[in-house]
Amino acid sequence: MKNKINHKIGVLGLGILMSVGIVSCEDYLEKAPLGQLTSENFFKDATQATQAVNAIYSHLRSFNVHVFSYIGVTDIASDDADKGSVPGDAGFLQDINDFTFDANNSAVNGIWSGYFQGIFRANQVILNVPEIEMDEELKTRLVGEARFLRAYFYFFLVRTYGDLPLIETPLNPDEYQQSRVSKETIYAFIEEDLAFAAANLPEKSEYPASELGRATAGAAKSFLAKVHLFQNEFQEAYDMAQEVIASGEYELYPDYEGIFRREGEHSSESIFEVSTVALEAGGGGSQFNEVQGIRGNPNNGWGFNGPSDDLMAAYEENDPRLAATIINEGDTLPSGEIVMPDPNMGANARFSRKAWLPERPPSGFGNSGANIRLFRYADLLLIAAEAANEIGNPSQALEYINMVRERARQGNEDILPDVTTTDQADLRMAIYQERRVELAMEQHRYFDLVRQGRAQEVFAELGITWTPGKHEVYPVPQSEIDISGGSITQNPGY
Amino acid sequence: MEKLLPERGNTWQLNKYLILTLLLFSFFTVHDSFGQNVPVSGTVVDDTGFPLPGVNVVIKGTTNGTVTDLDGNYSLEVPEDAVLVFTFVGFQTVEEPVNGRSTINATLGEDLADLDEFVVVGYGIQRKSDLTGAISSVKSEDISRLPVSDVTQSLQGRVSGVQITQNSGAPGAGSTVRIRGVGTLNNSNPLYVVDGMLLDDINFLNPNDVESMEVLKDASATAIYGSRGANGVIIVTTKQGSFDTDTRVTVDAYTGVQQVANKINLVNAREFAQLANELEQNVGNQPIYNVNDYQEGTDWQDYIFRNAPINNISIGANGGSAKTNFNLSANYFNQQGVVKESEYERLTIRLNNQYKMSEAVTFGHNLSFIYYNQQNEPGVIGNAYRAYPIFDPTQPDGSYTNTAPVGNPAAQFEYNSNNRTNNYRGVGNFFMDVKFLKNFTFRSNVGLDLAFQDSKSFTPVYFVSPTQQNPENSVNVSNMRNTNILWENTLNYSKEWEDHRINLLGGITTQDFYTESLGGGRRNLPGEDPSLWYLNAGELTSQTNSNTGESWAMLSYLFRANYTFKNKFLFTGTFRRDGSSRFGEERRYGNFPSLALGYNIIEEGFLQNQNFLSNLKIRGSWGKIGNDKIYVYEGRPVVNGNQNAVFGENEELVYGATITRLSNPFIQWEETVTSNIGFEFGFFNEKLTGELDYYTRTTNDILVAVPIPSYVGASNNPVVNAANVKNSGIDLTLNWRDQKGDFSYNFGIVASTVNNEVLDLGDGNEAIFGGAVGISGYLGSRTIVGESIGHYYGYKTAGVFQNEADLSSIPKRGPEVAGDLIYEDTNGDGVVNNNDRVILGSPIPDLVYGFNFGFDYKGFDLRADFNGTLGNEIYNAKKQTRFNTYNFETTYLDRWTGEGTSNSEPRVTNGGHNYEVSDRFVEDGSFLRLRNIQVGYNFSEVVLSKVKLQNFRVYLSGTNVLTWTKYSGYTPEIGGGNVLGTGYDSGLYPVARTFNVGVSASF
Repeated sequence: MKNKINHKIGVLGLGILMSVGIVSCEDYLEKAPLGQLTSENFFKDATQATQAVNAIYSHLRSFNVHVFSYIGVTDIASDDADKGSVPGDAGFLQDINDFTFDANNSAVNGIWSGYFQGIFRANQVILNVPEIEMDEELKTRLVGEARFLRAYFYFFLVRTYGDLPLIETPLNPDEYQQSRVSKETIYAFIEEDLAFAAANLPEKSEYPASELGRATAGAAKSFLAKVHLFQNEFQEAYDMAQEVIASGEYELYPDYEGIFRREGEHSSESIFEVSTVALEAGGGGSQFNEVQGIRGNPNNGWGFNGPSDDLMAAYEENDPRLAATIINEGDTLPSGEIVMPDPNMGANARFSRKAWLPERPPSGFGNSGANIRLFRYADLLLIAAEAANEIGNPSQALEYINMVRERARQGNEDILPDVTTTDQADLRMAIYQERRVELAMEQHRYFDLVRQGRAQEVFAELGITWTPGKHEVYPVPQSEIDISGGSITQNPGY
Repeated sequence: MEKLLPERGNTWQLNKYLILTLLLFSFFTVHDSFGQNVPVSGTVVDDTGFPLPGVNVVIKGTTNGTVTDLDGNYSLEVPEDAVLVFTFVGFQTVEEPVNGRSTINATLGEDLADLDEFVVVGYGIQRKSDLTGAISSVKSEDISRLPVSDVTQSLQGRVSGVQITQNSGAPGAGSTVRIRGVGTLNNSNPLYVVDGMLLDDINFLNPNDVESMEVLKDASATAIYGSRGANGVIIVTTKQGSFDTDTRVTVDAYTGVQQVANKINLVNAREFAQLANELEQNVGNQPIYNVNDYQEGTDWQDYIFRNAPINNISIGANGGSAKTNFNLSANYFNQQGVVKESEYERLTIRLNNQYKMSEAVTFGHNLSFIYYNQQNEPGVIGNAYRAYPIFDPTQPDGSYTNTAPVGNPAAQFEYNSNNRTNNYRGVGNFFMDVKFLKNFTFRSNVGLDLAFQDSKSFTPVYFVSPTQQNPENSVNVSNMRNTNILWENTLNYSKEWEDHRINLLGGITTQDFYTESLGGGRRNLPGEDPSLWYLNAGELTSQTNSNTGESWAMLSYLFRANYTFKNKFLFTGTFRRDGSSRFGEERRYGNFPSLALGYNIIEEGFLQNQNFLSNLKIRGSWGKIGNDKIYVYEGRPVVNGNQNAVFGENEELVYGATITRLSNPFIQWEETVTSNIGFEFGFFNEKLTGELDYYTRTTNDILVAVPIPSYVGASNNPVVNAANVKNSGIDLTLNWRDQKGDFSYNFGIVASTVNNEVLDLGDGNEAIFGGAVGISGYLGSRTIVGESIGHYYGYKTAGVFQNEADLSSIPKRGPEVAGDLIYEDTNGDGVVNNNDRVILGSPIPDLVYGFNFGFDYKGFDLRADFNGTLGNEIYNAKKQTRFNTYNFETTYLDRWTGEGTSNSEPRVTNGGHNYEVSDRFVEDGSFLRLRNIQVGYNFSEVVLSKVKLQNFRVYLSGTNVLTWTKYSGYTPEIGGGNVLGTGYDSGLYPVARTFNVGVSASF
């Protein structure tokens, strides 16, 4: 009998102790993510605010922002370059070159998602950093950088796709269905961001040397000038460019080819560029140079974005910029190597010298430490020249265009004579021509052709059908239309 | 509770209490006595006098007892006034009162109508006749027959309602297991319970160790596993020793050879040159090749394939004394892959013991230790499919040919095959059973799964072509460890009186998971010798490293009641409450009830005096189960670190971090409501038996990463409780078994239908797209309300544009020229665009079936298993993916080359119009496979007794011998993939055909 009682006590005790044990251990099920911060602990101080801004810059090196699709929709689409590489490789870029792409094109998809991811990162900062208690000056600067970068992403998108969904802040799940707003609205939004950045960011010279590469007031103003130019707002473009010129922050770098080498990084000519570094362990490089690198011998990359016959022919006689822009078969490189393209690439294979790397980066060409030049002073001067000519100020236009030509001359007075015409139409064509050769293979040409209204005519000469009313913009990715349930519409003609 | 130990402290503290209670409890029990017991022994025989092994001998009114040994003997300590009950499947039950005797022999008469077979259920066993749930069993003799490493493949074609798909033919590869269709958009894998240990896979098991596998299909059966049972449960019971049994040693061994069952039809060099020329001409280029220079060329598939050996040996011993029993086994399995350089090797040791401390207390453990290592093929399968047949693998000088744009598989074998993964795993449980107060049993079960993995890869310096080279050698190592600790405490109450039988179960369980990985790499080692393949040999400045961790836990309360009245009316009620760390605090717990009723009609008086019907039972169940198989931290927005930027003159890398992923703290359990109605029947004294079940299974609030528009800007698609999906279908099992003199035979069929329908996708979601294929990542699968999950969706082809007249009269997309595919203008609006896409098929079969037969005549036996599917489609994604000019499938030979040449296969191109998602790439996936055929011979006892053997069998076996299918790839079984986009064949490891000879012996 005693045993039975013991049993009952035992069972009872067991039950009670088990319940007590478990009830008092409710946090048994509290499992925080390991090795990762959660959003509850983020955006709390100046360090984290800075880190979040750095993460936007980091995205500028990513594949879908400034690598493969990027050179596709800019250079390969233009008359400056052919697809490059071997014939069958990356057929979707051939479709870009030939204007036979559709809404499922990889490049068209890549740009869309890459740039909107950048906007998402910028919006995180713009939403959360103002709430942080921290040094106000730094806070304003960080928000200014984020708004500059958001404008940068949107400016590329609006030129690529036209009307866009306007994402001003990270969306909540009930806001995922968006419609496109007019490109005018997008441009106004970009201008607002850039104006904020121009007013609140330091000038390049005001940053400490350790912060070179961050967005500056000068860069914001320069982009504002370009944004106005793309809307044919020439007076505003001119005024803004004048401000940059007057700031004295920039001057042309004497050695044209040097701009694209290590010594040209963040040089006096640099208004905005993406900083990269080739570390042994990786993590700071980009593939921008690899995809355009020499394919064959020496073997530096994939060999895409081959400068075209048409570009070869575009240079004036003895223009040294040709050799600084294009690598031909048989060229001797400074290392003494003779360039032999992959025989499968066919005749007239060429490579971009601006994207050429003199040395193999540690762990390979996909880890390039060459900065990606996005905006240089010569570009700004030509914007100023074009705007000046359009508003009836040819003498100012001539001054700026000839500054660019003088530097290109590299001291050789026998070449590249000054432009002298004051006829508005002739001067316009001279400026267009100067933009082409000065900025060739720097991803400006295609958008310029569309902006200038000359695309159909230029491509027709190359035997490519460029359809007005359709090809001014690329198609919106089909997956976006499918996933949004039709709230996102397609561009006309696609 | 204060935290004594960081991180892991909670588990320990919780368990500390439980240990304490356990110790207290044991103390009470050990001092217990059960009154005066006397020893009883005897022999049990059938009515021909043949000894019966395995007969249950139980003291009436208790669960105490034993089983007879191989000679039909038993011994037992029993109270003087006890009544012994002798039960054995297929025989009549006999009761014998002890009445002071010390020897009690029993003779059992055959009873084919007897159904008192026991079936393993969650947390217990149950009479088959008392079952209210849909449970199918497979026994050991059907499990160890296939020459495979993965034991789940034994269920293929054997169990209704279960579809097993081999993920690939790679050595050691697992299978995709679906029980009653796909009920969720997430992980649809079932839960595995091995001897009470809850696991996510059973790849480690030696098939020879398995005694039985029970597949739990409906809510009545699975609800005791609550949130973990939504996709069904497979309970695996490993072989145990028996008390008071002589040691028996068994040996099973086989050796065989595997070969690729089916090659893909690809063109030869001459045909390739022709097609590649046409391709260039079609895009305005000059032809590249002089066709007359080429003949057959290289068959790259032949180059990478080989006839590969497979070997297996298992040795086991089991037996027991009065107080302990054991089952010990060792197994070595080695499989070379049919693709060179792939291999899998496994060593398994198992030790299952039980220790009877007293009549009331039994301890036991089931422990297995596994070592396996694996080398994967170096990615040559895709390249052999794409490589040009015009190239030889090597040049006359012995160097590897530059086969650009495709990598040279021959060079890959040499340079990319230095990767090996070693795995060390211990899986087991330790339990204590305590019987007290006559009707109670307390069980405490601690389960443990510890897995360690290390892998190393080395890549030497090499140069084959500009696109296939490695200028710096490198070594990468990684380690991973997983711990999974389960603790379950259950209390069982069981009582029988008059017409009533009742069983109650209650318990508390906890399970804790932790995983951590550590990896590193360096380049520029000073040499290539394996003695240098260590990180320290590499250049310090090139080092990379990573370290991540993950943990989650569950806490559950469970309860079940079974009640049987007059063996006729059956009731089961189950309830489980689960808490999971994967969900936010607000929605952490879920409650999962089920109810079931059964009615054994055969027990009714009006069915007693007839010979036609030998069993008839109807049962029905309803229940709600949950599913928590989402990413562990899905509910927590994490910050992505190392989003570093570069600034400054000195190009410093500066730390960056931000939120790039979206998360949803409001996610909660998926709930699956299952209803099942089933019939069990037997005719002609159980010659014909069968089960027929109809079920519906509706999953609500499915956790799904709904693709969101890219403009949102997140790098992931957040998980929301969005969709509802219903599966319904019929599971049928039929078996015919008969004997005529020395000749006995059986025939079995299993068949299952699955009707999958999406009921709801949540607010604002009209469709979920999935299944990225092709070079642009086209989304070829769609999920919409009213249709099945993940059906193929794209253009329907309607011939080929033959001429300009066609081009001007037939609606088109825009870029088409003569020779391109005509996509049907399905909505008739005069243009072809995305609105004309239609459903092109489904990867979900209408019918999954299998059948098997067996013949025995004297010592000979013959067994054959067939299985297959009907009504599913496969998407030939490898054909659609042409990033460049690759080799061609022979279907290209039927291409259009001018008016009237083809109205099905378009002109040769690499991408663009003809490579949109269309029925061009959708193929019939139905198949019938002769999975296994086996002929064996059992030597007679007369012969064997001379060499002291109990049993000796030799056999010849063929696996995947024949497959009837229209599908053009290596195999019509396409496993893996996210349920939103399955059935894509992007280049699979081919399934092997295996022939082996084997022996099994016991002594």
